[in-house]
Amino acid sequence: MARITIDPITRLEGHGRIDIFLNDQGRVENVCFQVPELRGFEQFCVGRMAEEMPVITNRICGVCPEAHHIAATKALDAVFGAEPTSVAKKLRETIYMAFFITDHTTHFYALGGPDFIVGPDAPPSERNILGVARKVGLEVAGEVIACRKRNHEIITFLGGKSIHPVAGVPGGWSRAITKEEQATIEETARRNIEFARFSLSIFEKIVLNNPVYLEMITSDTYLHRTYSMGTVDADNRVNFYDGMIRVVDPEGGEFVKYHPSEYREHIAERVESWTYLKYPYLKKVGWKGLTDGIDSGIYTATPLSRLNVSEGMATPLANAEYQRMYETFGCKKITNDRYQPIHHRMATHWARLIELLYSSERMLELALDPELTSPETRNIPEPARFVGEGIGSVEAPRGTLTHHYVTDGRAVLTKVNMIVGTTNNYAPISMSIKRAAEKLINSNAPEEAILNRIEMAFRLYDPCLSCATHFLPGKMPLTISLRDSQGVLQREIRRKT
Amino acid sequence: MKGVPLISPLPNPPPLGEGANLLPPAGGGREGGAGTVIIGMGNPLLSDDGVGIAVAYAVAERLKQRINLTVTELHTGGIRLMEAMAGFRRAVVVDAMLSGAIPGTLRHFNSMDFVTTKNTFSSHDTNFATAFDLGRMAGVLLPKQVSFWGIEAREFDLFAEQFTDEVAAALPGAVERIAAEILQWEGAE
Repeated sequence: MARITIDPITRLEGHGRIDIFLNDQGRVENVCFQVPELRGFEQFCVGRMAEEMPVITNRICGVCPEAHHIAATKALDAVFGAEPTSVAKKLRETIYMAFFITDHTTHFYALGGPDFIVGPDAPPSERNILGVARKVGLEVAGEVIACRKRNHEIITFLGGKSIHPVAGVPGGWSRAITKEEQATIEETARRNIEFARFSLSIFEKIVLNNPVYLEMITSDTYLHRTYSMGTVDADNRVNFYDGMIRVVDPEGGEFVKYHPSEYREHIAERVESWTYLKYPYLKKVGWKGLTDGIDSGIYTATPLSRLNVSEGMATPLANAEYQRMYETFGCKKITNDRYQPIHHRMATHWARLIELLYSSERMLELALDPELTSPETRNIPEPARFVGEGIGSVEAPRGTLTHHYVTDGRAVLTKVNMIVGTTNNYAPISMSIKRAAEKLINSNAPEEAILNRIEMAFRLYDPCLSCATHFLPGKMPLTISLRDSQGVLQREIRRKT
Repeated sequence: MKGVPLISPLPNPPPLGEGANLLPPAGGGREGGAGTVIIGMGNPLLSDDGVGIAVAYAVAERLKQRINLTVTELHTGGIRLMEAMAGFRRAVVVDAMLSGAIPGTLRHFNSMDFVTTKNTFSSHDTNFATAFDLGRMAGVLLPKQVSFWGIEAREFDLFAEQFTDEVAAALPGAVERIAAEILQWEGAE
């Protein structure tokens, strides 16, 4: 089997690259998306006190420290048998909404949006957030920075520290907020709602109203009919902080709904001989290789999959957008509130903006809750209720995030397991890259267009590679080596930096 | 996909920024600010990756009798890095690097010849150069002097709180040189 390597992140350590394997006929046989493998995490944690985990795990990833912090704190609730107070849950959810808003905003304007707003075949030097601002209006640069700033301020005062929050404790939250801070949250939430609507209006004007881009979103280039996963509330609507894990099949039928603590009964990991990557899949469906359909256990955990599993959004403006997206794709209603799933992966960008609006509206709901300033932010764990093992789960921007800790009788860690957002999507990401590669690899498209179309296939998932930027010099180098079945180099495509 | 109106388009986008010293009306960019920030980049739990953070704190400690430096820890670069230096007159960034040099090697980069060290790029948004231009476009108050220091790492993907011997040995020299640069800046004013 021949092998093509696209190396977007590093040529130094062999991490974070794409391998495309060709068969003797020169057709794409398999695709492997390599993500960086940090070593020694379990050994690093074992022997430490479990309470350290919210401040250790929030450093695993510089991009979503808040997600790890909240998932770790929820796992500690379970370890110590300490149910958080009502206001503690609301404070955790508030900081989490602020985090989602900054994350989704940044992805749309800096990473995902440029392909649409500037154009997929524009030179890389223009296909960035500066190009977006030149196309949409220079004031949008200030809007993005202002959105990040106002929400970072909330994260800082709620989390007790900028960037790496420290306020999560078993049974609650270590800091109450004042009426003035509540008013700041309310004002911020109102601005966020306007900004989310503004972002959706840009998407409408520039993407949906452009037949070329609309075709790109609705074409079958990036279509995979997998199972969808997401966390839902008691009414089966999208929730990022808490709820049950719901999985629907490719037709939209509910396959299973389970408590996050039961994840091992439902999720297994597949090891293939040609990669060190482990592919999670639905145990009760089974692994059928990198293929989609109802008989393949591959599932997706993304903004789009979260909407696919839900009976709509829990807030009104976001719900109206939710309905509009499914109707745009011609999906039929399968319940009063839910539609057939969308499998066109490029719609993930649209779903992300709908989630941006939901997070903003939800933040306002929380800000208007009189209980938010209650000082009852913690239930102190009682020794008699100590459990010793716990699982905590949230929806991270990139997919369902699960932390699982096992301790001895003194809350000293003996085992740690995690499934991070991106991991859920290893198989779908690989399938999307494979599909793009099949269509493009033997085409006569310009080199930069080939590079970018393949990058777009993984960019829509926003895979978490923040710890993988081990390279010099500055810009993202990208190399595709195209080899025949004998391994002889036929063509090399390289992005010059 | 036709005829369905979006939620009402916003007649006027919300006003920019919310005061502080960060955001004047868009366009043009500004230079100035006050004080010096030293930004240590990396992950203190990933062996040599945390060297930039250790150096940043050590430089501030070294100079505390003479200059009040602000120390900021940052795990990722891109837009975050630009934001971290907003409002300051001068910024010094210290990061691990993987250039192929001997572990412990210290290199100085001006912002003009800057190449990416280990953490100054964010794969979730953009590189530092683009982020800096974004800040200028948004009218963010940005430093008039920025310098970058890279320290070659040996071990960077292993969870551990110790530096390798080569990097630990390079730390005092790095602190010395970076402190000297800051004093020189201050003296030049």
